[in-house]
Amino acid sequence: MAGALSTVLSGSLIYAMLGLVATMFGIAGLYVYLNAPFLAMMQILIYVGAITILIAFAIMLAGPFYKKPKEWGTVGKLIASIVVSLFSFFMFSSFIMKVSWSEGKGAFSLTTKDIGRALFDRYAFPFELISLVIVVSIVGAIMLAMFSRGEK
Amino acid sequence: MTEAFLYNNLNIYLFLGIFLLCCGILGILYRRTLIAMLISMELIMNGAGLNFVAFNRFVSPEGPDGMVFTLFIMGLAAAEAAIALSIIILIFRKYRTIESTEMEEMKD
Repeated sequence: MAGALSTVLSGSLIYAMLGLVATMFGIAGLYVYLNAPFLAMMQILIYVGAITILIAFAIMLAGPFYKKPKEWGTVGKLIASIVVSLFSFFMFSSFIMKVSWSEGKGAFSLTTKDIGRALFDRYAFPFELISLVIVVSIVGAIMLAMFSRGEK
Repeated sequence: MTEAFLYNNLNIYLFLGIFLLCCGILGILYRRTLIAMLISMELIMNGAGLNFVAFNRFVSPEGPDGMVFTLFIMGLAAAEAAIALSIIILIFRKYRTIESTEMEEMKD
């Protein structure tokens, strides 16, 4: 939680990225508490290993080294965003408090084997679809980079 | 609520998910650089994934559906981050800025 707050509130982009890393590690720990160690490992691998490195490269490429970007909006914008986030927070929390979720019974012990079996059994089509999405995004990113270089 | 431990409670995880969502909303509305907005998007997606896993753990502990959805969310977040960062770098090369408020050419 402190990581999330520092992500949002820190002044520099690098500090925001480090706050994102802290948040990801915290969520990985929560996944361990939720009996999902495979997800925790994937969380650390994908977010800390891939996305954060990507963001770091982008920060360094579009770096605020020679022109420090003005990070903050006006005071009115700050008040408006805080009001919106607090409003949504209390709305959703009242919803949570109102509804009593029927707690499932039975021991929750799923292994990686179960996840893999579900991935290729019931969720085979979304799995292929998401791999297609990733391939398209990679090709799109490469094409964007190539065309921008050609323009220059 | 009779659980002795705090982490055996569904509401805690839901509140954490809401907290992440609100931090993401605050970041998207408040930060001005595009990369910070992207980081806030990642926060929102992680809140959603945390909710999925919590519901899978507490409400329907029969199958790994929530975990599968969280894996899909991770994959989509990776793809979206790649695309968005390449677009951000393009915008930076074109306009020499990464602030969202200075891009006013597309308003017309």
